[in-house]
Amino acid sequence: MQKIFRRFFLEYKEYIVVTLLLVISISLISQNENTQIKKVRTLAFGGFALVHSISSGIRDVFANKDEIEELKKLNAELMLKVNLLREYGLENRELKELLNFRDTTNYELVPGKIISKLVSKTHGNFIVNIGISDSVKTGMPIVNSDGLVGIITDASENFSVVRTLGNSVLNLAVTNQRSNVNGILSWNGNALIIKNIPSNFDNEIGDRIVTSEFSTILPPSIPVGVISEKETNIAGVLTNLVVQPFTDFTAMKNIFAVKFIESEQINELELNLLKK
Amino acid sequence: MFEKYFLPIIIFFPIAIVQLTLVPLISVQSIAPDLITIVLVYFTLRQGQLYGTVLGFTFGLFFDLMSGGLLGSAMFSKTLAGFITGYFYNESKILENTTTIKIVFIVLLASLVDSSFYSLLALPEVRISITSVILEQGLLPALYTSILSLTVVLLSPFKKSL
Repeated sequence: MQKIFRRFFLEYKEYIVVTLLLVISISLISQNENTQIKKVRTLAFGGFALVHSISSGIRDVFANKDEIEELKKLNAELMLKVNLLREYGLENRELKELLNFRDTTNYELVPGKIISKLVSKTHGNFIVNIGISDSVKTGMPIVNSDGLVGIITDASENFSVVRTLGNSVLNLAVTNQRSNVNGILSWNGNALIIKNIPSNFDNEIGDRIVTSEFSTILPPSIPVGVISEKETNIAGVLTNLVVQPFTDFTAMKNIFAVKFIESEQINELELNLLKK
Repeated sequence: MFEKYFLPIIIFFPIAIVQLTLVPLISVQSIAPDLITIVLVYFTLRQGQLYGTVLGFTFGLFFDLMSGGLLGSAMFSKTLAGFITGYFYNESKILENTTTIKIVFIVLLASLVDSSFYSLLALPEVRISITSVILEQGLLPALYTSILSLTVVLLSPFKKSL
């Protein structure tokens, strides 16, 4: 019996090994959100990111880092303020009677630099050189001077993994800034799509899309993109909106983590997907 | 012994760093060459199918950990790429397979398998057709990778003269 097994193994060892390794890979994919696996990943990318940051530093040795970073930070802060003012203007027109409208938002930004990028049409993510030591936490939004870039999914002491809008796993609650129509934005491998919006809802090409107040993981009113296309399905009842993002993921180097103070009450709700 | 077990791992780390830091600079519309696949194909053609399968798995594991990506996705696709490349292994034609234009075509096939499966693993969330994944996200990066693998052919006379 043992001989038969031995002969079988020797004859088909390549197939047995490849099957075994593929099964291990598949089971690891399904275990990605497991706490133990997350710990290993955080530890590993934290270590490797240190090496990346050194090589990335060599690449940028001629750049005037401080000045550029300062200006980009200022630009990003202004972008957030301009967008907020735009929103206030629209709301003001609608709700003139609310004279005591509260100024609620003044986000603190933590500047960071992208040290490595995973170039893929479906798995877009970055490693950035800010981490827990910079008061950065999992779930914090990442912006640049143009708008939303993504969110932090793992944070080690000095580095963090950012899941970008170009990652098919990321789903965000967004809203049309003009008409306040809400929807879920996701990456379909080619474009950002807001799926299954009733066709009779007021959405026009060129409308600005921002993060929604209903989002439990992002602060409201961060610019995401503009509607570039409307695709109505065969029945004509539902529409998919194609969104052109403001940010260019391929060209960016510097980002900012927005120190978003999450609501404790929202955090306690079962629906918060990033709840620990 | 050294070439079989340690050299690929030693070469892997600088190549992976280049892949994550410099290759994004030469990417076009999120289409980038995969240097790790070139290294994987080269060593598989020298050592055989079983070796290539295990090496693909190891490279994938390290790459997933280094990139902060979905753990298991590169492991799966690179294991498969190593396994497929193994079919081209021929003990008596090692030099021919690794120093002539043949390697470019083998890299094209291995890279097509690698990048297609890497993208397909995100399919539960992605709502586009499998054909589109294979053509846009498999074939285009594979072509780019195979063009870069020409450097292996171009460098081979230099290596022989050393």
